[in-house]
Amino acid sequence: MPRWRVLAVFLLPAFLLYSVFIVYPLVSALDYSFFEWRGIRQVGFAGFDNYRDLLSVYPYDQQLWRAFAHNALFFAGTMLIQNTVGLLFALLLFRYRRGKRFLQAAFTTPYLVDPLVVGYLWSLLLNPTFGPVNALLEAVGLDSWALPWLGDTRTALPIVVLVNAWQWVGFPMLMFSAALAGIPAEYHEAARVDGASAWQAFRRVTLPLLTPAIGVVSVLTFIGNFNAFGLIYAMSGSTGSPAGSTDVLGLLFYRVAFVEGGVEAIGRSSALAVLMFVFIFGVSLLATSYFRRRERKLL
Amino acid sequence: MKRKWIAGAIGVLAVALAACAPGGGASEGTSGGGGEADAGKVTLSLWSWRVEDVKAYEKILAKFEESHPKIHVEFKPFQATEYNNILATGLSGSGGPDVAQLRAYGGLQPLVEAGQLLPLDGKVDALSGFDAKLLEGAKGHEDGKIYGVPFAYQTLQVLYNKKLFGDNGIQPPATWDDMIAAAKKLKAAGITPFAVAAGPDATWTLPIVHEIFGNARYGGNAFRDAVLGGQKKFTDPDFTASVKLVKDLEPYFPKDVVAVKIPDVQALFVTGKAAMYPTGTFDLAPVLKADPSLEIGVFQVPPPPGSPATTPVTPGWADGSFGVNAKSAHQAEALELVKWMATPEFGQLYASELKQLSAVPGVTPSDPLLAEMAKNYAGNGAPYTLLVDFRYGQPNGDAIFRDELQKMLAGQTDPEAVAASVQKGVEQWFKPGN
Repeated sequence: MPRWRVLAVFLLPAFLLYSVFIVYPLVSALDYSFFEWRGIRQVGFAGFDNYRDLLSVYPYDQQLWRAFAHNALFFAGTMLIQNTVGLLFALLLFRYRRGKRFLQAAFTTPYLVDPLVVGYLWSLLLNPTFGPVNALLEAVGLDSWALPWLGDTRTALPIVVLVNAWQWVGFPMLMFSAALAGIPAEYHEAARVDGASAWQAFRRVTLPLLTPAIGVVSVLTFIGNFNAFGLIYAMSGSTGSPAGSTDVLGLLFYRVAFVEGGVEAIGRSSALAVLMFVFIFGVSLLATSYFRRRERKLL
Repeated sequence: MKRKWIAGAIGVLAVALAACAPGGGASEGTSGGGGEADAGKVTLSLWSWRVEDVKAYEKILAKFEESHPKIHVEFKPFQATEYNNILATGLSGSGGPDVAQLRAYGGLQPLVEAGQLLPLDGKVDALSGFDAKLLEGAKGHEDGKIYGVPFAYQTLQVLYNKKLFGDNGIQPPATWDDMIAAAKKLKAAGITPFAVAAGPDATWTLPIVHEIFGNARYGGNAFRDAVLGGQKKFTDPDFTASVKLVKDLEPYFPKDVVAVKIPDVQALFVTGKAAMYPTGTFDLAPVLKADPSLEIGVFQVPPPPGSPATTPVTPGWADGSFGVNAKSAHQAEALELVKWMATPEFGQLYASELKQLSAVPGVTPSDPLLAEMAKNYAGNGAPYTLLVDFRYGQPNGDAIFRDELQKMLAGQTDPEAVAASVQKGVEQWFKPGN
């Protein structure tokens, strides 16, 4: 068999699966978004009407921006907490090797659980009426801390960020661990010989060399956060309770497409899906090329 | 990207499920799909969103097969949350259902407008005897044709724990002030007066709570007619005042109500930690299942001060209907089935097996509590107008209202703004006067 045929045989299964489950839905969403719908019947070409409706019909016009802002906050919070703590864990495990394997496994176990399950689990733990978290706080005398965590518009989104970080902190930790192991030991020795303090060595040697890992972690966090759905749906329902304070684009899509179920649902929800894809794809491309340039400067 | 992937996957799944569904396909006319002995026996496929009712439907449908030996009905339930999409996909190709359980009002329209259902006008005679209010739920909004035989209706009232009332010397209230006094007394005794949830899974119940306490305050049927006719809007002072009632009652709801979920309040009510449960007939079976020994009574909320109505108003709506797939290969048999579903025989079976209020005229529930709720509705019924009339467009009025009510309970908005928001949302598609 010629070489290309062998290649084709190996590539075909993945290519077929990719086409059927990724490319086809993507293209059909784009197609759907340009038509006017009555239930599942297309009644005519709509141009950009679905997009215009999404941006101008009350309350979507407001909910869209609110959801976008929450996604942005979710991303910022995750970068700040999950990825910083992940880096800290990676550094600690790099320096103090005792129990490293066990701790790595422990930090990454929550991965294995579906975000929906994690969300339900934490909403049970945080339940103000029957939940153990507040019962514990009250038992140790911290009554004033026994708040309705998921029922207060000020705490709900931060709690979602923390629970999400609880689930995924193992991911940046593993990525940074691998990157740390790849930095030649001589660099650290050289820094020490030159009299650099621990902070200086970290800031001037380690951190710059982690740029590739930081890039990958940031872009994947961005994609994950802007597509967030399962965890928030489980903790806050389809409306982003309370009072829309945890509403994100994924939930808005779900509501427009499936919950409200109007005759125009397919067109409008497809338009939203396309907007989300274009934004996430575009920003990911820009971010990737930015980090690539930074990496090149390192060489 | 992931969202679309899921949407696509659901579509694929629906097609796959439809392909697996028995009762479609060309083979059955001859072989009857497996164990059927007599040739010429037709298998109908009946789709539903009631996964929990399989046993009851098998019992009910066995009766139908007794009187219709040439027809076999296969009951095929799907997850309620996925049902709308599965049904829309199933009806569009071959291998779909012959008869399907249909959502009511706005939820029915996507199927009607896509031409996927058979109009039943002139085909099911018994429909002329049905309550006109309930038939509305099974009609096409544009063409006014009937697309299904209504199977049930829901009504909204207040369930109460008889023992807690007795222990605290409280009678079912005759006036609004009585009710508030009772709530105060219960609260002082450490009991949650009203089991109301406003948490993430409960926003859909908030308009229900508003209906129960506020329908009389905004004026029931008269207000609905005025809004539909264009003489009044949701910004009307009476409607705003009815929204304010929900805010005023908040002290008698569980603490931190915005974080409280439906299972929490059911548990509070069932375990005797909450005394009154404003809800619908649909919750009676789950509550009694949790504790069959619980002694429950029911009352209609007395009209609040300032109400245009002087008697209680009890809201209700049609739950759904059974309709025929326009593409069914066995339309004659499918029509036989829905005709039978309009008979008192089906209605009585449905009411007794499922503990629901049958939509078939003349059927009385055997359960005394259900019978009382049915009587209240028959005497003082009015439609839950945001569900009945304002789900025909996007954004639907009920969906805006539930978000806004939750916002109000979270202290982020006031009754005037809630009413204004509902009006602003629906007037984008709602044209009064037709």
